[in-house]
Amino acid sequence: MVFVTQGADVALVSLQGVGKTFSGRTGAWEAVRDFSLDLAEGEFFCLLGTSGCGKTTVLNMVAGFEAATAGSILLDGAPVQGPGADRGVVFQGHDSLYEWLTALDNIGFGLRLRGLGRAERREKAEHFLRMVGLTGQGAKHPSELSGGMKQRIQIARALANDPRMLLMDEPFGALDAMTRAVLQGELSRIWAETKKTVLFITHDIEEACALATRVGVMRRGPGGTLKAIVPVDLPFPRERTSDDFMRVFRDVHALIHDEIHGAH
Amino acid sequence: MPLFMMRFTVRTDRWATIGGYITGFALLFLVWHLAATYLVKSTLFPPPGPVLARGWMLIEDGILQEQIIASLKRIAQGFLLGSAIGIPIGLAIGSFKPVRWLLEPWTEFFRFIPAVAMITVSVIWFGIGEESKVFLIAYTTIFVVIISTAAGVGAVGRDKIRAAQCLGANRWQVFGLVALPATVPYILTGMRLAMSNAFVTIVAAELIASNDGLGKMLWDARLFMQIEDIFVALVALGLLGFATDRSFRFLIRAFAGRFNATV
Repeated sequence: MVFVTQGADVALVSLQGVGKTFSGRTGAWEAVRDFSLDLAEGEFFCLLGTSGCGKTTVLNMVAGFEAATAGSILLDGAPVQGPGADRGVVFQGHDSLYEWLTALDNIGFGLRLRGLGRAERREKAEHFLRMVGLTGQGAKHPSELSGGMKQRIQIARALANDPRMLLMDEPFGALDAMTRAVLQGELSRIWAETKKTVLFITHDIEEACALATRVGVMRRGPGGTLKAIVPVDLPFPRERTSDDFMRVFRDVHALIHDEIHGAH
Repeated sequence: MPLFMMRFTVRTDRWATIGGYITGFALLFLVWHLAATYLVKSTLFPPPGPVLARGWMLIEDGILQEQIIASLKRIAQGFLLGSAIGIPIGLAIGSFKPVRWLLEPWTEFFRFIPAVAMITVSVIWFGIGEESKVFLIAYTTIFVVIISTAAGVGAVGRDKIRAAQCLGANRWQVFGLVALPATVPYILTGMRLAMSNAFVTIVAAELIASNDGLGKMLWDARLFMQIEDIFVALVALGLLGFATDRSFRFLIRAFAGRFNATV
């Protein structure tokens, strides 16, 4: 099979004809089929889809947690083989944090793995603690922090490791609406500050429109695939009640409407 | 939480716990007194008064402490030995499938042979000295600790390991910095369970073959029909077990409270 490496010199991540079939005792389940996407350096790409459409599977394959059963995934032109420090992941649940470490030590965990000294680790971790707005909370353990704070720690932990890109799997999905809106605003600011490439998974149309530079709408599974890509050319911070925002929202909503109805 | 409970602070809560314990024990002794004095009315079931008096006498003579220390020393030695062997084996079983396949028949086989059943073998092998007791306590400790540790390794959240991997951790870093600390609450809980097993085992072992210890005290008291001594030994066992378990729980809280462990 020959792959056309279209624009491999500009794309940070390139998924080409990617598919994933799980085989279990109840038979094979094709979660993702023929999924192709190029992510440019510095963009914020939201992958939007109904539950069970395979969007998390796409993220898991880019992260290297799961191997694709078809197609290829290239990062900087090299095939993805397992998880690595070049792709920072923010998980939906906050049980990915280490309860026995303080917030600061959680943030500095990746630096510790790389053998950085205590003082340097602390200084960097403090920097990212400030960035996510938790100045002064560094000595607390995760059990003493709220759900929103834990997600902030997760974001700081991923950023402190200075990855090539961030993979975020519905990171605000379990938060209440108010906290979610605040964190979305903060994430936009942090993204503008750090200029990281982000692949963000969500099922929330408004969240996708508020954060993304491009929204990819997924077709419902089995064999979930990319249905359409909607560019969002609105300035940040985004005014969610503006006519322009509403227009984008309606466009995306129209695309996902069919997927919502019938996906129960 | 109902509103009337909200005003309890941590401090008053602690005093309430201690007060509750004292009241609970007082009630236990009261029921014992009433049952012995008005219900049973037999010299074979003495009320707490004479028992406590006899206990005090044995303490003044230094005899009770001697028996207690003899038993506790055996428990401590066997318990530490058993934990030291059980924890690494449990970690290996939980971490590597081939080790699990290889060793699970062992653990599943031996855990159904209670330490009490091993007393005869242990006496034949090690005599009635310290070794046989330490062996039995270690034996009763090992399997509980192994099973609990292995379960703990298996229960480490998938995202915890994945998070470490995408922060750049290699296999050994995942094990040492994530799997091991995440398993600590399970290890400690297993050790706590093993500790209560150790109390059962030490008494049985000392009853059958020993020169001192609380079990031996029970046996001698039966031989010489010293009813009060029997009850002194029983009360001592109950109080010791209670104190040991509470201090173990306190240690777990102090060391692992931040792990959010359910202990």
